[in-house]
Amino acid sequence: MTTTDQIEGYILDMAQGDRGAFEKLYAATSAKLFGVSLRVLGNRAEAEDAVQEAFIKIWRNADRFTANGFSPMTWLITVTRNHAIDRLRARKAPTQDIDEAYDLADAAPGPEAQAITAADRARIVDCMSGLEEQKADAVRRAYLEGDTYQDLAEAYGIPLNTIRTWLRRSLLKLRECLSQ
Amino acid sequence: MSDDDDNIEMDDENVLAAEYTLGLLSAEESQAFEELLSIDPGFRQRYAFWAEGFAGLTDDIAPVEPPADLKDRILAELFPDKTLSRADPLATADSEPRPSFLQRLGLFPAVAGGLLAALVVLGVVDLMIDDAPTPATYVAEVAAEDQSLVVMASYAADSATLTVDRQAGAAAAGRSLELWLIPPGDGQAPISLGVLPQETAAAIQILADLVPSLDQGTLAISDEPEGGSPGDAPTGDILATGAITAA
Repeated sequence: MTTTDQIEGYILDMAQGDRGAFEKLYAATSAKLFGVSLRVLGNRAEAEDAVQEAFIKIWRNADRFTANGFSPMTWLITVTRNHAIDRLRARKAPTQDIDEAYDLADAAPGPEAQAITAADRARIVDCMSGLEEQKADAVRRAYLEGDTYQDLAEAYGIPLNTIRTWLRRSLLKLRECLSQ
Repeated sequence: MSDDDDNIEMDDENVLAAEYTLGLLSAEESQAFEELLSIDPGFRQRYAFWAEGFAGLTDDIAPVEPPADLKDRILAELFPDKTLSRADPLATADSEPRPSFLQRLGLFPAVAGGLLAALVVLGVVDLMIDDAPTPATYVAEVAAEDQSLVVMASYAADSATLTVDRQAGAAAAGRSLELWLIPPGDGQAPISLGVLPQETAAAIQILADLVPSLDQGTLAISDEPEGGSPGDAPTGDILATGAITAA
C-alpha cells in the first residue's frame, strides 16, 4: 500500500521532470482513478480516455500541486473526476466544460489553503447520512454523474428554483457537519 | 444559523464554493468564482475544503486495473521521443510534424546534430519543447459556399478553448450540427469537436494533443442525427468548411 506521503513525494519529483516518479505514481493510483472514471462514465473506452487526459494533466501541473492546498489523492481524484464529468457532459452538449474551470483554480490557490487533510474526507460519508435520502442522492448525482440543477429538477420533478434552494440548504448542512 | 449579516455572507460563499466544486455553476458564474479564487485565500480554502469533502464520495469506489496499454498510450503522449509505436489510432492527430525547437531557432541540421546531442545529454530538450510558446490564437471562418451557414471560430491558447459563434444558419429540425477538426495533410480523418449547441455561441475545450492539428488544419460542420454522429466519423453532408489560420 502506498502512503499519502509517498504519493506526495512522487508528485513533487514529477514537478522536477522525474519520469520514474510518474511511473510509480501511475502504478500506485491508476487502478483507483480508473475505477472512479469508470464509475462516472460507465464505459471502458471513455473511462480510459478520461484517465489518460487526467494523467497528462497531472504530469503537466505537478509543479503547481504544492500550492493548491489539496491532499494528494484528492487532487488526483478531482482532476480525474473533472475529466470524466466533461466527457459525460460532452455526450449531451459540448457547451459546459468543468475541467477548464479548474485550470485556473489549480494554478491559483496558495499554501494558506492547506488546512484540510485526507482525514476530513472520510467524514463526508457520515455527514451525507445526516441529509435526507433524496438530498444526499442529489449531491452524489452532481458529483459522480455530473448532473446540473436542470438535470436534478427533471429527475425529481421539482421546479428549478426549488431544487436550487433545497440543495443549497443541504450543502450548508453538509458543511456544518464536515467542519465539526 | 445566525441572522447576522456576516454569517449570511459566509454561508453564500460556502455554498458558491460547493456549487463550483460540483460543477453546478454556469460558465459565467464559474469564471466569476475563479476571479475570486485568484485574489482571495478564503475562497481557495473553501474550494479545497469541498474538493476534499466530495472526493470522499469516491472512497467506496473499488479500484479497477486499467488495460496494460493505457500506460503506454499516456507515456507515448507525454514523451513522444521515447516511444515510436503508437497504439492509439488518434495518434495521427498529434504526430503531425511540428517544427522542432531547433527548426524554430533556424539552425541547420548539421549544426543541430551536435547541439541536439548536447541538449539530450543535458536532458533539457523536452522541457524546452514543452515550454515553447504555441501560437496564441487561431481563427477560422467555417462557411457554406452559399453562406447559408456561417460559423466563426477562434482558438485561444491560454484557455485552450475554441470559441464558436454561429452567425448564420442552424440545424434542421430534429438534426444536429457537428463540428470536426481535419488535421493538415492528405487523407486525415476528421476528429469530432462536439455538437454545436442550440445557442449561437459556445466554448469548446481543445485537448492538448489536438492543438498541433489546428495549425493549417480545417474545421468542418456536418449535418448529423440529433445528438451527433453515432460513430467516430461524420455520417451526413458536410455543410461548411473553413481553413484554420494563425492569428
